Amino acid sequence: MIKNYLKMFFIVLIVTAQAPLDLVIDTNERDIEIEPGISGTKIVLFGATPTGKRDIIIEVVGPPKNQTMQERKRYFGFWLGRGKSYYKNVPSYYNLLSSKPLEEITNQEGLNKLGLGIEHLPLGKADIKYSTIKQSEFDQRLRSEMFKNGQFFEKQGNIILRSGPGKVGLFKTEFSLPPNSLQGKYFVRYFLFQNGEAISYAESTIDLKQAGFARLIWLFANNFALLYGIIAIILSGLLGWVVSLIFSRYKLT
Amino acid sequence: MELYLPIAEISINPSIFLILGMSVGILSGMFGVGGGFLMTPLLVLLGIPPAVAVASEANHIVGSSLSGTIGHLKRKAVDIKLGNLLLIGGIIGSFVGIGIFNSLIKIGLVDLLITLTYFFFLTGVGSFMLYESLDSLGYLKKKKRKKTYHHSWIMGLPFRMRFKKSRLYISIIPPLLVGFVVGILASIMGVGGGFIMIPAMIYIIRMPTSVVIGTSLYQIIFVTAIVTLLHAFHNQTVDVVLALILLLGGAIGAQIGVKLSSKLEGPYLRVALGVLVLSVGIVMASDLLIRPEETITLMRGGGSQ
Repeated sequence: MIKNYLKMFFIVLIVTAQAPLDLVIDTNERDIEIEPGISGTKIVLFGATPTGKRDIIIEVVGPPKNQTMQERKRYFGFWLGRGKSYYKNVPSYYNLLSSKPLEEITNQEGLNKLGLGIEHLPLGKADIKYSTIKQSEFDQRLRSEMFKNGQFFEKQGNIILRSGPGKVGLFKTEFSLPPNSLQGKYFVRYFLFQNGEAISYAESTIDLKQAGFARLIWLFANNFALLYGIIAIILSGLLGWVVSLIFSRYKLT
Repeated sequence: MELYLPIAEISINPSIFLILGMSVGILSGMFGVGGGFLMTPLLVLLGIPPAVAVASEANHIVGSSLSGTIGHLKRKAVDIKLGNLLLIGGIIGSFVGIGIFNSLIKIGLVDLLITLTYFFFLTGVGSFMLYESLDSLGYLKKKKRKKTYHHSWIMGLPFRMRFKKSRLYISIIPPLLVGFVVGILASIMGVGGGFIMIPAMIYIIRMPTSVVIGTSLYQIIFVTAIVTLLHAFHNQTVDVVLALILLLGGAIGAQIGVKLSSKLEGPYLRVALGVLVLSVGIVMASDLLIRPEETITLMRGGGSQ
């Protein structure tokens, strides 16, 4: 039953030796269709870069989703949640891959400027209601809960660098999207670092689409909501009726 | 085996949900409750987003209560006339409840209210039923039991009607009012309201226990059908695949429950329901009273915005 959907796409960084550093990337597959939920989708990224003391950081950012953090407080002896922090457009998936541990590539300031890593990922301004807690505290809890839930990842030192022909270095890395990943655009951003400075940047997207019967039901529920509701009621009633018929036919009750 | 739920957007193991549906179905057929007050928290615990859990649960109860009602109809244990009165009150009440719900969202008190309503009704209704049924079984040595004093004022109300199945000749006002209040509570809590309706039918309207279960299930069919339609139309949160899996177990369970209910005597049935409702209330209370490990948490399913 469990199938592996191995989808590969290629990123080719063509960098000529003399020309100013410039990243040119291409992917041979921009759309991925998955039968949802059977297993995670494994994606392989690889490409080329000039050899030398260079480091690579890649981040993958999934489609945005609204999130709410809740603060529980004691009211009349009950722990109840009234204080809320509403976030708009938090990435539903985040993964950071790097060729070395991050602190060996650049400093905190450099990561912060580019918003790289779970700790530095920008979360936007939250709408805080009925709470006196600062946003930074809500932010920190949101980051750790997303990490704990398996939606935010960091895999430092996961990119493998190899020397290729001439002055070209090859790199390769892979990551998986969890089975329940949201459909939509996943941004893959490549950062090339030298001596702690980001010297080049490139971006590509993967479009994750869910295929199959489940997708058809989703489309129907969202486009013909009223009809869907009526059919849901009829199906439920019908199944309940059929079961009670079977029971009385075989005198089980 | 894994199955992907199209609306909940997660994969599940269907056998767990079949068993869950069946267990709640047995309770449903036995006690005449839809089982939403048990099922909804359990579904959320299994990772279904709360909004989808509430809506799909309503869809599931349509079928399981229909299955249960047919079982009870064969035993002539459904008072359709009285059920219709409760239903009319219930529909009006649920619209009022939705209004209250929406105005509470605006002042940020909705989650707080839902939790507290659940807590007070589960523990309150549970302990009252347990106390009353143990008392009527003679386990509690009480000197003199107060004899049904509110019969007097209920008897005095106008618009009386004869309900043959329930062997009652009462005013139509109490059933309408009970339906109305339960309708308000049910729509705030996102459940069918069976566990509040049953005690109200027994203790306020004074229906015989044998008719109460079938009649309650009968009106639950319509209440949950309306709820399903509203959720499907406004929020697109009804997961029909989830509902049908739960129902396959649930409809079978309901039939078993109907059979069990005819074997248990009224007061014992009430003891069992009392214990069940009270224990769910206690589990909830422990969550409310014990200091949580983390006071700031992520709300599943994005929360109510």
